[in-house]
Amino acid sequence: MLDIRGLRKTFNAGSPDEVRALRGVDLHIKAGAFVVVIGSNGSGKSTLLNAVAGGFLPDAGQIKLAGRNVTRWPEYRRAKLIGRVFQNPFSGTAPHMTIAENLALAARRGQVHGLGWSLSRHLRQAFRDRIRALGMGLEDRLDNEIGSLSGGQRQALTLLMAAWRKPQLLLLDEHTAALDPKTADQVIRLTQSVVAAENLTTLMVTHSMHQAVNLGDRLIMMHQGRIIRDFSAVAKKRLRAEDLLEQFNEVRRADQLDPGAAEMLKALYV
Amino acid sequence: MNLLLGSFTIGLILSLLALGVYISFRIFNFPDMTADGSITLGAAVAAILLVHGVAPIGATLAGAAAGAASGAVTGLLHTRFRINGLLAGILVMTALYSLNLHVMGRSNVPLLSTATLAKEAETVGLAALGGLPTLHCFGWEVSVCDMAMLVFTFMAVVVVCIGLYLFFRTNLGTAMRATGDNQQMIRALGVNTDTMIVIGLALSNGLIALSGALLAQYQGFADVQMGIGMLVWGLASVIIGEALVRSRGLAMTIVGAVMGSILFRLMVAIALRWGLNPNDLKLITAVFVFVALILPGLTAKIHRRKEASAHA
Repeated sequence: MLDIRGLRKTFNAGSPDEVRALRGVDLHIKAGAFVVVIGSNGSGKSTLLNAVAGGFLPDAGQIKLAGRNVTRWPEYRRAKLIGRVFQNPFSGTAPHMTIAENLALAARRGQVHGLGWSLSRHLRQAFRDRIRALGMGLEDRLDNEIGSLSGGQRQALTLLMAAWRKPQLLLLDEHTAALDPKTADQVIRLTQSVVAAENLTTLMVTHSMHQAVNLGDRLIMMHQGRIIRDFSAVAKKRLRAEDLLEQFNEVRRADQLDPGAAEMLKALYV
Repeated sequence: MNLLLGSFTIGLILSLLALGVYISFRIFNFPDMTADGSITLGAAVAAILLVHGVAPIGATLAGAAAGAASGAVTGLLHTRFRINGLLAGILVMTALYSLNLHVMGRSNVPLLSTATLAKEAETVGLAALGGLPTLHCFGWEVSVCDMAMLVFTFMAVVVVCIGLYLFFRTNLGTAMRATGDNQQMIRALGVNTDTMIVIGLALSNGLIALSGALLAQYQGFADVQMGIGMLVWGLASVIIGEALVRSRGLAMTIVGAVMGSILFRLMVAIALRWGLNPNDLKLITAVFVFVALILPGLTAKIHRRKEASAHA
């Protein structure tokens, strides 16, 4: 399904701010897999997601998606194959447009935008039904500006929008990081049901060890622009958050990192 | 009364300019400076075609098309070559000044002895009223010519408004509005935002040039200087319109821009009647827009201060 080979990217090459974000990433994801990517800040996990989404052109390497080489495709063209939810709940929706209009745009993801009406009675009914299933009481607010909703509500709708037309690949970029814990749990439960309902191939980046351990059927750990651990479904089942933290500490010891930093990480993540 | 009729007509003609500015500034969030050049381009193309005997409706539409092309050029400079949007507009506006002189062949083209939409409207009006040169309207005596032009302009503006409203509810129009609202989101949904910006600026400047073509026919000449300050004029109309309707709904903001344009023209006509020096007009327009832009922030600040002192 997703096939990444030798992916490299250096930002601001040759300047003092040079960042070697991806240093040769190889990753193969089967159709229907739910892969979780974890790593510390600057490990390259979000960069990897952006590379797949088409946010920039890589310096080297190849990205194949559903049998097509998409390495040189612009972002909007890849959107035919990819559904996305961003970290910032405000990034995934157009704030001054109504809920119905936002959903209508998602319902035509990757299709030609011609002179047909964007909304029909049939479409509105479909939106209402799906939104009612969210249990957020938004089904009667189809004509409200989406910007008037909370971050959690907007993120739930963005998820719905990303999966409205079944994508070949669903990209989730720390999509609960900006939400309070209770809302984050709601959005995670919704994520699980959306992914399961259509058996979506999913690539999810997270900061949370608990999400990394509890979600998905494969776990990848990134560090300094490389994939350093790859846990299969079986290995992942035995994994606990504490084990994961130990793995992180190991990596840091190898880098001769300050042990105080490892303690801070523990306080942050567990 | 004639002053009132004239103000209404010019206000309606310039409401097309206001709608164009509304599209670029408000829907696309794009500070498009092309307007000052494209309104003159519309007037110049229409005027020169009229002088050469082209039918008024064809000449008017050709003017609008020329304006749309100039808007598309601004859009291409910005999207293809990554030139700052403000600068792209200024470049095209500057280039258009020379181009307009070339189109007209001189700095002013009079339309007094040629067939124009204004004269056609007058003919239709006279025919409809059995050849009377004046009619009584609410106790005032008005010329059929003025009235016919007002009715014609009003109908044209209504058609444009309904067309725009419907267009912005199609898939393409919705994608264009989303491009102005959240580019990241709409790209992730598969829309080429560069194309949307080019089409949007073409639409915006097409309307602005249409306004110029009609204005030239109404006032009876096209002049290379007629575009100066028009962008700020359009912006002032949009701001007044927003204050009038206080709504972000599509239909209301479109109607608001038209109402704002008419009201602003009336205010200016009255101010001139009261002895405002015409030379100060642009200065006052600019100051007005400046005040309108900072006023919401200022009142919010004062409000916050008052609240803070009330808590203290």
